Amino acid sequence: MKKIFSLCLLTVSFAMITSCDHNFDDINTSKTGVTAIDPGLLLNNAVINSSPGGVSTGTATTDLTYEMAIVQQMITSNSGVTVGGNFNQVNIGNTPLTWTNYFQNVIRYTQDVITKTASDATRANLYNMARIIQANAFMILTDTYGNVPYTEAGKGYTNQIFFPKYDTQESIYPQIIDELTDATASLDPAGKIETSDVLYGGDIAKWKKFGYSILMRAGMHLSQVDAAKAQATVSAAFTGGVITSNADNAIIKHDANFNNGVGNIVNGTEAANFYLAEPFVNALKNTSDPRLSAIAVRYVGATSGPGQVPGVATTAPGNQYGMPMGSDDGSAQNAAVAAGLGSRYAYSQADRNRILKRTSPMFIVSASQMNLLLAEAAARGWIPGGNAAASTFFTAGIKADMDKMATYDPGSAISAGDRDTYATANPLDVSTFDASLQQISYQYWIASFLDGPEAWANFRRTGYPVLAPNPYPGKSVTFITRITYPPSEILVNSKNVQDAISQMGGDNLDTKVWWDK
Amino acid sequence: MSKLYLFTGIFVLICYRAMPQHGEIYASNRQQPPDISVQSYSLKHGLSQLQKMFDVSIAYKDEWVKDKIVQVPLNFPSVEKALDAMLQNTGLKYEKAGNRFYIIFEKKQHQSTYNYSSTAPLVLNASSSSGDFATPDLTTVSNEMTEPATITVTGHVTDESGADFPGINVIVKGTTIGSSTNSDGRYSIDVIDENSVLVFSFIGYGTQEIVVGSRTTIDVAMQPNVKSLDEVVVTALGIERSSKSLGYSTTKVTADQLAINRTPNIMNTLQGKVAGVNISSLGTGPGGSSKVRIRGQSSLGGLNSPLIVINGVPVDNTNFGTNQGNTAGDNSQGNRGGGASTDGGDGFSSINPDDVESMQILKGSTAAALYGSRAKDGVIMITTKTKGANKGVGVSYNMNFTDETPLDYTDYQYVYGQGENGIGPASPGALPNPTTGQWSFGPKIEPGMTQVLFNNVVVPYVAQKGIINKFYRHGTNLTNSVSFSSTTDKGGLNISVANLKSNGITPNNSFDRKTVNLGFGYDLSERLSIKGTMNYSNELNTNPPVVSDQDNSIPTSLYAMANTMPLDVLKANAYNAGGGEYIYSRFTNRTNPYWVLNEVKQNIRKDRLFGNFSVKYDIAKWLFVQVRAGQDFYTRDQDYINLPTGKASLNGGSIASSVAGFVNGVYTQDARRFRETNVDFLITATKDFGNFGLNVNVGGNQMRKRLDLNSVQVTDFVVKGVYTVQNGRAKDPIYTMTDQAVNSLYGMAEVNYKKFLYLNATFREDWFSTLAPGRRSIPYPSVSASYVFSESFAAPRWLNFGKFRAAYAKVGSDSDVAPYSQSLFYGTTANLFAGQPVAVMSSLAVPNAHLSPMNVAETELGLELKTFNSRVNLDLAVYQKITTDQIVNAQISDGSGFTSTKINNGQSRNRGVELMLNIVPVQTTNFQWDFTFTGAYNITKCLSLTSSNPGENITVGTHVFNGFVQQIVGQELGQIVGYGYRRDDGSVNPDHKGQIVYGSNGVALPTTKLIPFGSALPKWVGGFNNSFSYKGIVASVLIDFKLGGKVLSGTNFNAYRHGLSKETLVGREGGTNGEGAVVGVGVDVNSNVNTAVASAENFYSVVRGAGLIEPVIYNAGYWKLRQITIGYDFTKFFKSTSAIKGVRLSFVANNVLMLKKWVPNIDPESFSYTSDNVVGLESPSVPTTRSIGFNLNVKI
Repeated sequence: MKKIFSLCLLTVSFAMITSCDHNFDDINTSKTGVTAIDPGLLLNNAVINSSPGGVSTGTATTDLTYEMAIVQQMITSNSGVTVGGNFNQVNIGNTPLTWTNYFQNVIRYTQDVITKTASDATRANLYNMARIIQANAFMILTDTYGNVPYTEAGKGYTNQIFFPKYDTQESIYPQIIDELTDATASLDPAGKIETSDVLYGGDIAKWKKFGYSILMRAGMHLSQVDAAKAQATVSAAFTGGVITSNADNAIIKHDANFNNGVGNIVNGTEAANFYLAEPFVNALKNTSDPRLSAIAVRYVGATSGPGQVPGVATTAPGNQYGMPMGSDDGSAQNAAVAAGLGSRYAYSQADRNRILKRTSPMFIVSASQMNLLLAEAAARGWIPGGNAAASTFFTAGIKADMDKMATYDPGSAISAGDRDTYATANPLDVSTFDASLQQISYQYWIASFLDGPEAWANFRRTGYPVLAPNPYPGKSVTFITRITYPPSEILVNSKNVQDAISQMGGDNLDTKVWWDK
Repeated sequence: MSKLYLFTGIFVLICYRAMPQHGEIYASNRQQPPDISVQSYSLKHGLSQLQKMFDVSIAYKDEWVKDKIVQVPLNFPSVEKALDAMLQNTGLKYEKAGNRFYIIFEKKQHQSTYNYSSTAPLVLNASSSSGDFATPDLTTVSNEMTEPATITVTGHVTDESGADFPGINVIVKGTTIGSSTNSDGRYSIDVIDENSVLVFSFIGYGTQEIVVGSRTTIDVAMQPNVKSLDEVVVTALGIERSSKSLGYSTTKVTADQLAINRTPNIMNTLQGKVAGVNISSLGTGPGGSSKVRIRGQSSLGGLNSPLIVINGVPVDNTNFGTNQGNTAGDNSQGNRGGGASTDGGDGFSSINPDDVESMQILKGSTAAALYGSRAKDGVIMITTKTKGANKGVGVSYNMNFTDETPLDYTDYQYVYGQGENGIGPASPGALPNPTTGQWSFGPKIEPGMTQVLFNNVVVPYVAQKGIINKFYRHGTNLTNSVSFSSTTDKGGLNISVANLKSNGITPNNSFDRKTVNLGFGYDLSERLSIKGTMNYSNELNTNPPVVSDQDNSIPTSLYAMANTMPLDVLKANAYNAGGGEYIYSRFTNRTNPYWVLNEVKQNIRKDRLFGNFSVKYDIAKWLFVQVRAGQDFYTRDQDYINLPTGKASLNGGSIASSVAGFVNGVYTQDARRFRETNVDFLITATKDFGNFGLNVNVGGNQMRKRLDLNSVQVTDFVVKGVYTVQNGRAKDPIYTMTDQAVNSLYGMAEVNYKKFLYLNATFREDWFSTLAPGRRSIPYPSVSASYVFSESFAAPRWLNFGKFRAAYAKVGSDSDVAPYSQSLFYGTTANLFAGQPVAVMSSLAVPNAHLSPMNVAETELGLELKTFNSRVNLDLAVYQKITTDQIVNAQISDGSGFTSTKINNGQSRNRGVELMLNIVPVQTTNFQWDFTFTGAYNITKCLSLTSSNPGENITVGTHVFNGFVQQIVGQELGQIVGYGYRRDDGSVNPDHKGQIVYGSNGVALPTTKLIPFGSALPKWVGGFNNSFSYKGIVASVLIDFKLGGKVLSGTNFNAYRHGLSKETLVGREGGTNGEGAVVGVGVDVNSNVNTAVASAENFYSVVRGAGLIEPVIYNAGYWKLRQITIGYDFTKFFKSTSAIKGVRLSFVANNVLMLKKWVPNIDPESFSYTSDNVVGLESPSVPTTRSIGFNLNVKI
């Protein structure tokens, strides 16, 4: 008996008394997660999320509900979750999405890469690539919201800055320009080639073109507010060399695992809810633009989502009808009946089986956009060549955009003949600068279809194409010139955001960003 | 720490060394009582010494022995000799009234009443039963006769096991005539007439009153009194203690309470029955969770579920509940990916009520203090059977069957039918194949109208009422259990096998549970005993219903279904030609319920084995040591179709023009392995020193917990309708493993003074593997006191028992700091992008390496009274609980790149009162009415989040449709917030102040800021139970209530927005094409009277479009007739020689009647969320049911 007892006691005593936290460090070490990883793979995440239409449904949602609706290319007559630019109203479900995507998925990752590679000379190229990607994200953020956190942004983990202060857009732009200039110039073909890079496979020459292209955009955005700075920047970018060939396009090639966010939405719940807007369809139709049939499809006679079947689909440009701006479900239906379409389900859509597949690519920067900006720069005299160069760039821009269509889907390919016919029929009007600008901006508008943030930025900057105010009766503003701050910022970062709001003179959909004069 | 080691070590050593000596003392103690000298001492003291020495009870009246001094040596061979000597010359005599029971009385009384009885003529009034045997007071028996006796009644009294019961007091009610039973349990008494009532009483047993009638022989079987004054209760760690020594509140639940009225989840049985315990059964099917909250939500976090302890060892209570929109996160385990929001049950779902011998609920922190870091939410202590109730071999068979009827509380409008903006499938020129299926903003329903649905299906355009009952079926629960027990003097064993087959009301949902329980206990020798239990359960939960979500949720679609949509048409047209879902609503997420029934599948298989084994050794009579090892192990395999192939809301769903070669859908397989082991030891010493008694426990526990999860989610199928991992082209596999340990040392000491004043202290120190080195241990102390004042002075006769309690404890939580939460981790996505790996960060939360678990400091005061012969009993507790150092998922600016970080700054305060009032208004021979009220009031206030600035808030939950739950500093926890009506501020026109403001489109404008509508947590929870027993028929009626909480009703949200609510009848006529013309009563933005006209659909869709949820906020309170039971014990119809030892049949009805509620269209209880982070965010769940059934128990 005593033996059993002693045995029990001894066993337990030993077990307990060895140590009360014996082995705890080992127990509390994760066997499935790592605390360090190649920063190049982190940059990949940021790159993928830089796509304007988004991998995340977040950016795609603002692209669809706000930006493309604001520039009157794609709209919905639905209310509820899709409210945005269609009704010119604040939808607090959607307004934060650009903010959250870029800060969480791009700034957070690039900041981690930058921190890890800043003092690592062997990864200098990676460091500079991350800076370019980050600068692009900051530009989209500030173009969308105005003043945003910049100097203190993305430093929640590295510097424990949880409530970053906001920087004025005026101060952010020069810094973005400096970052892009320095990072792009510092990219070194002799340095380590980051072969895991998903954008260009680490190709330094292409990265340089990409960096200068973003720089070109940044410079152009300042054309109204600071012409001198704009000119200097655009000139520097031109000298550095921007993307002028489709082979150099910055493309996110979505696949079955990394879907095109916009494609996902229009192939999912909202399949029968988004339509091409009347101004966009009419513009293309009236100019016999071959891109209309590359982009659009119409389900003739469809009276419901299920009725949108391939058997009734037409891509014939003459048979495309855009949904009138400012429609709700009722007025869209009435308008469709009045137009003889039968139902609102019979309006033209961006083809979810071609240009907007789940696997369709998204362009961060395209050669057509750059050629058109170069046309504008030449017309302004900021780069050499004058109107002649402007005309050349202009035509090259149109052609590049038409050629780009095949990248979305072979079914969207535009023949060289149609392309050239259109290009020939639409030479740049160099009679006045304004005529040129209007024409260039119109083409930029088309070339930026699906690139909501840039299409919207260029529209605000140039005022072209001329779009009629959204006639929706319940709209709260005439034109949306800015997206309101996320409610979460107002809740948790209130002091800083209130400072920003007072600097900007309001937090409304029609508050203008600094460069929008 | 090292001191503790030393202390434990020394203690263990001393005990070990001391063992032989104490053994001898113990042995000698029995034979030779120590000579405590021949000094004079009080008679009272002498008697109390005799009681201890000979382990007997001696009853006397205090005033008789008071001031009497005796001087005889205290070393007698027998108690009789001692009493003879002591009572000499005192004028007192004694009588042996039973086995080890003696009664002292005055000599003259004995003489005067001698005539009436063959044995001692004593009356031991039942009201004198004040606890210990030492001081029952005797009523003075008058020596005057009132009337002559005419009838002599004799009889035999037995105890609950049928054995002779000596010493029972028998009196004639209302007279001074009395007698008591002899050593054979026989009595004889003379009564006056046939109307006389005999009262049989004995301490600890229920008093029985029997009318004599024409009988001269009355046999009585005494039953132990369940309201016994001093019961043994199982406390923390399985330590058994006398209830009067406890300085805190606990509630015991008996096996009967669990067995007769059954629910698949054992806890749901106790709704409304235990003061301070708020139980919600959820509308998630029979395999679902039970939400149990003791003394309210204690922390800001979402899971405040109690610890489950079975036979002294904790087991896992991981919750697999439904918690969409739980943005703050907690330890609940949700399904992966959308579309499969189902409730996979909790730790209680594996427990078979048949195996439960008793359940003890430790409510406060002090009660649970010995569980230290696991004690913050109270403890449900379950003791399972280890032997039979009676000696010998017993077989018991129990069958329980209940039928469940779905309850439909909808009260919708049936004036206007399916359609939108006044246009429906019945309108002239209406579109073919309408897709308005979820909207009821169509034309007015007139006789003779027809509608064309789907592909030219022509049916009458008539209201479809009662679709809830048409769709759902009757549910059934059938439990069969057999148990075998063997019981001897040395111990026993109990084996039970049970099978539960439960069919949910959702037509494809079932829950099967097979359990095998083995319990045994055996005394190997006088000192060494072993005890063990093993419980195996095999659970299969088939198709737990998807609830509260947009996709795949049958309730969501059904409760918002257009009111003219016939279910049979919906059923017949569930599929399109391609085999996908045929769209019936443009709101494609609202899946056709019949399609869901066929296509959305889920299986959860769980094999769980838990149990423990303990060895106890009595070193001395006053000292024992126990070593125990327990394990809870389960594997849980789950596979679910998140979104079936061909689902309309998915890309390429029923839109035929999908990408070639792509088959949509999402399918997931999870496999979990969980193991928790606990090894502990306990050394217990109990000894009395004069007036003082001491009880000391020292122990330690080592806990280790590991969870492995393998999960694969696949999409992009090759073949439609084939749900295998292989068939999915895109695969997203996950493997995670967490491992954690907590080591503990603890001790408890209890000192009592004369067994009426008790002081208790406990101390526990826990070491956590999850905390940062250097700050890994946290102490958890408690102190409590119990003062049984009824024993400390001569209490008035009506007061049988009175106790005052006071307690304070500090406890904590072991689950706040997750393993590995000190670092930021990286991983890679499951698939390459452009042929390259993509890295991800594990979390959007900035890690904090210096977190520590929260602390709960609770103060509790209590009062227990048993009065008027235990016919009016009260148990009252008040408490205050301050929970500090709570980890707040502090939302930070997205601009930081992250969304949150965790900080130890949260503070909340619970204050509450618990009351149990038990009254026995009627107690006659054949009839007893027992009334019990249990009620609790609790308010939990948020004192601090990241700061203590009033108004600071965090959003912890988001409603699937609209609205939030926030914790707001300075307010009650669980605030439902959202946008309300914007009100005129009166600055332009003071008369318009407070009026609703409408926009230029005639639709109400939302407030510019989120506003709180009140707390969703109930303040008052309780029930009234009336039980009646009449000649063997036992019946009970329970009415329960929950009051004081708010609800954001998602069902009403949809009913409003889709035109089903009766409120939406306003303004349906007029407008273009009959879209309606509503002019809201209020003002416009310029404070002019609103004249803007809105279409009905636009007007009522404001809840969705603008997120204006004010119209669908309600009072969530209710009063319900919860339960009716009727039972009859047929045992008396069987001869005692029969093989059948007992037959009992009970009928049960549950959720009988809604007496009062404030929210329309739903049962306020129809919730599906287990987490407090989404409390009050109602969203359509499986309807609640009324269950009617019976329970048959046969003992052989």
